[in-house]
Amino acid sequence: MNRLWMATSAMALVLLGVHLTACKQSSDPAASEDIPIGVYLSLSGANADFGVTTKNGIDLAVEEINAAGGIGGKKIRVIAKDTRSKPEEAQTVAKQLATQDKVVAAIGSVESGQSIKAAPVFQEAGIPMVSPSSTNPDVTKQGDRIFRVCYLDDFQGQACADFAFKDMKATKAGLLYAADDDYSKGLAGFFREHFKKLGGEIVAEATFQGDVSEFKDQVSAVAAKEPALVFVPVYYSKIGLIAREFRKQGFKGPLLGGDGWESEQLVQLAGETLEGCYFGYHYDPEDADPKVQGYIKGYREKFKKEPNSLSALGYDAVYAIKQAIELGGGPGRDQITEGLRKIRGFKGVTGTFDIDENRNARKPITMLKIGGTDLKKVKVIQPGDIK
Amino acid sequence: MDFTQLLQNMTNGVAKGSCYALVAVGYTMVYGVLQLINFAHSDVYMLGAYFAYWPAKWMGYLPDEKGGRAQDVPLALVGLFVVGSMAACAAVGALIERAAYRPLRHSGRLAPLITAIGVSLLLEYGGQMVFGTEPRLFPTFVEAQSYDVAGVKFANTSIIIVVTAAVLMGALTLFVNHTRQGRALRAVSHSFNNARLMGINVNATITMTFMLGSSLAAVGGILVAMDQPTITPLMGLRMGLKAFVAAVLGGIGSIPGAALGGLLLGVSESVVAYWSTTYSEAVAFLILIGVLLVRPAGILGSSAREKV
Repeated sequence: MNRLWMATSAMALVLLGVHLTACKQSSDPAASEDIPIGVYLSLSGANADFGVTTKNGIDLAVEEINAAGGIGGKKIRVIAKDTRSKPEEAQTVAKQLATQDKVVAAIGSVESGQSIKAAPVFQEAGIPMVSPSSTNPDVTKQGDRIFRVCYLDDFQGQACADFAFKDMKATKAGLLYAADDDYSKGLAGFFREHFKKLGGEIVAEATFQGDVSEFKDQVSAVAAKEPALVFVPVYYSKIGLIAREFRKQGFKGPLLGGDGWESEQLVQLAGETLEGCYFGYHYDPEDADPKVQGYIKGYREKFKKEPNSLSALGYDAVYAIKQAIELGGGPGRDQITEGLRKIRGFKGVTGTFDIDENRNARKPITMLKIGGTDLKKVKVIQPGDIK
Repeated sequence: MDFTQLLQNMTNGVAKGSCYALVAVGYTMVYGVLQLINFAHSDVYMLGAYFAYWPAKWMGYLPDEKGGRAQDVPLALVGLFVVGSMAACAAVGALIERAAYRPLRHSGRLAPLITAIGVSLLLEYGGQMVFGTEPRLFPTFVEAQSYDVAGVKFANTSIIIVVTAAVLMGALTLFVNHTRQGRALRAVSHSFNNARLMGINVNATITMTFMLGSSLAAVGGILVAMDQPTITPLMGLRMGLKAFVAAVLGGIGSIPGAALGGLLLGVSESVVAYWSTTYSEAVAFLILIGVLLVRPAGILGSSAREKV
């Protein structure tokens, strides 16, 4: 018994010691030789493609910046953590990045559910966080050090509803979404609200929960009401299965989705079932801007693949932090936070944008149409277009 | 009330329930013989899908570059892949029994149960390490088609699921009731010692039970992957839960009970989904609780047969 007690107290002491040193070191972020930036993304798991492509964009930007001599002579060092596509894991790795790796800024994640879990950790540690592509409005409400470089779901949902009603001439729409996912549920809500406001009707709604692969009943519930189109704001790993089920049950109308559909695997997982369907995208790859074309060329050379808008947002997030370091006067946590607040007219691959007083970016959305294995731009919707 | 849609949901439920039943049989057979909940069973189901995926991938039936189309696999090869996967899963089942459960045969009921959870986690996380965690496209074993009968849609994949499940369950029932090995299996489930006195090789019979259950799980994995062609190493989690519930609902230890439990769970989920897709699972589980309150041994289970 005595030995057990001794061991326990020794362990407690060690833990306490670790905690104290961690706190001591983390309060002194600007002293390091390089600029440590934490990255947390779904590098594995159901949404692995999100994390891997975003990380590619980040790596490309960091390589360019470091090759050009870094920022003020200091090079960026990326510390990447894998959230395994799980929100709880995002919180765990955020704690590691904040206390053990002593990062001065953080980039992540793609999935809003993860960003919402990790943001309070960074906020409390005084670390500025930039989400490249989490679109749920609640992400940046987690604290005054939480930023993003993408559009928001209220705008995305409205833009999709606008596109459905005005461009696709649909008056009856169905909804199918994940009831337990911040992104999916939020986006479905904004679509529903705006579509009704425009004069349309939501004729059917169905939801699923958790990591399921079987959507028979949900699809039956929606297809039975014969909507002109169905809005399905889910991630790419699910839309293929959902689209296949819709076609099996004889529903021939188009499906519409948000930026969560984006993946190199999208068309492969869905086969031909997403032919003629539409989804929202973060940038316009046909933009003649040398910055956009330079990024596409650099990406192809480095990764031997086509870039997508998630990698473009990862790329822009790094450059936004670079500009923040320059505007804020150095690579400290407070300086970067101040610098991010001052960003106006940022010229990124995903468009030119300001960081507004709510730490969000206002940007256009590009609607893409799936045809064969290609994605074709059909419309660019500006924030000002939505009334 | 829209009867066409209700009928559609019931059709969906039968297809779902057939898959639950195929996997539930594995739980129930092992429980009948060993009084052990083999938690690793649903991960063997996952392996079944992967064992059919890899040869098709190697033979080039899946697109190399992302964006290409999957090619249809010829029927003869489909048969070969299914049989191969069944054999591989049977071997895995036997291996699990030999390595994880047999050494604990005489150490009470708790130790093998905890070991079963361990084996399950080993397969799930080992699977993620070996296969990768990303979702993968399952090869096209059957080109999806749908038929319309008076407004109710039948997918050919659903029909194949129901027919295959019915045939296999029928064959299993015949095997258990009308063959020497089946009789040995029933004898072992009554009493190890008495079976041994009758000259039955108890260990071999238990190994056979695991092999049978695992090969049925493999077929379940392939059928589901054929219908929903995205596979991940964690695909067994939810199926395991459902199949286990189906086995308990039907009366664990009883093979017809597993079939009935699976169908009942599938259909009640789908019928509830007619009113609400959000609460369909919750209500289905409430039904389970209700049945177990009235009949704790399950619908076809008999508490008398249970050994103490």
